[in-house]
Amino acid sequence: MDYLRVIWTVARKDLLIEMRTRERIAAMGAFVVLVGVLFNYSIDTAIVRPQEIAPGIIWMTIILGGLLGIGRTFHLEEEDGAFSGVLQAPIPLDALYLGKTAANLVILCLVTVLIFLVFGVFFGLSFGSHPFVLLAVVFLALLGFVGLTTLFSAMSARTTMGESLLPVLVFPLLVPMVIFGVSATSRLFAGRPLSEVAGSVRMLGAFAILSVGAGAMLFRHVVEE
Amino acid sequence: MSDPALSAAREPDPFGSPTPALEARGLVREFAGFPAVDGIDFQLGVGRLLTVVGPNGAGKTTLLRILAGGLRPTKGHVLLDGKAVDVGDREWRRRIGVVSHQGFLYGQLTAAENLEFYGRLFGLSDLAERVPERLAAVGLEDRSRSVVRTLSRGMRQRLALARALLHDPEVVLLDEPYTGLDAHAAAVLNGVLASLKDGCRTVVLVTHNLGQGLELADRVAIQVGGRFRWIDDRDRVDGATFEAFYRNVVEERA
Repeated sequence: MDYLRVIWTVARKDLLIEMRTRERIAAMGAFVVLVGVLFNYSIDTAIVRPQEIAPGIIWMTIILGGLLGIGRTFHLEEEDGAFSGVLQAPIPLDALYLGKTAANLVILCLVTVLIFLVFGVFFGLSFGSHPFVLLAVVFLALLGFVGLTTLFSAMSARTTMGESLLPVLVFPLLVPMVIFGVSATSRLFAGRPLSEVAGSVRMLGAFAILSVGAGAMLFRHVVEE
Repeated sequence: MSDPALSAAREPDPFGSPTPALEARGLVREFAGFPAVDGIDFQLGVGRLLTVVGPNGAGKTTLLRILAGGLRPTKGHVLLDGKAVDVGDREWRRRIGVVSHQGFLYGQLTAAENLEFYGRLFGLSDLAERVPERLAAVGLEDRSRSVVRTLSRGMRQRLALARALLHDPEVVLLDEPYTGLDAHAAAVLNGVLASLKDGCRTVVLVTHNLGQGLELADRVAIQVGGRFRWIDDRDRVDGATFEAFYRNVVEERA
């Protein structure tokens, strides 16, 4: 019970601060709209079918936009040493990590809704006939992404190179998400049978579990001196 | 200015237990081979206050970070009530309160929200009563809904003090708590420190303010180059001699 209380307390605090400052959501939202506008003007729909290239662009936007916001998770904690204060509390550090991951997941889910809205409107996309499976694909990929990015954000916040180091560290580990996320989304957008997507969903599930599990186990080694 | 809200951490031991509340044994901490703390030993009984003074770079803050469990010593141990503790020890953190150069406060949250957040992390259940009580104890009862960013430096420092003492720690570590405080805030801090001693809490105070440090202390230490060059009970120390020694040491280093 105490464990869940810590997760909830940390996530609630992070979301409250984000609600007040809108610092990360605003940056990610602006990036999403910018990408949508740019692709809207750069793609000639008479030559290229948006439905076919949209999954790749959507996932690229999620990854780059996500790094922009989620990557700043721990930099925002450095003001007045607040994170050092949290580390003084008698809490399990994996619960602290899971609380921050949960808050980041909520924030990234909101941004992802905006991404689908923007691309849906600009390109007139059809999202296929299995919305709940699409939802599961997106959720599992986001969970894995947030699990990794939260951990690496803590790591990069403690280095002199800071945020510039984050993409270098995290991109190679996002390969499964890109491969299986884009593959499943393309097939769902194209209205292919669910049997063609099942394998990717399973791989994304494994990616999410491994990312969050490894993050929870390694987090204490990253934040403790 | 002794405030009952900040007293009564634990009862004084009527038998004068020989086990010190806080003990450092041979503490060494090196950074890239350079010893910031170099063989520090001391013992501090329940309700006693140790003042540590020293020039910049003497390793005082590193010592406090080790005592607070934020940094693992390269050698040596910290003992609480005679038991060695380690960095990951959650029970240690529950029993320690830290006031640092930084307030450990979230600028975007209100004063009350900051205390409630930390209170929940410490598993405190009576926050509805405790938070207003602690804000009142540091003279911030009318600023409970103010966002921390809008508070003055002195108010933030007082709030940091309330945060550090919210969970009634048995050992309180203060790193330069007088920095940036005006006369009123310094008086509040003095009152709080007096309350801590009345409440039988063990306190380590790191300060540049020699006068205030000596006035409050039961034990005094001068730390230079990572080592204690002088440590003794306050009542055996002549203030003028101590001050002259301190000035000499600082000038030597300069």
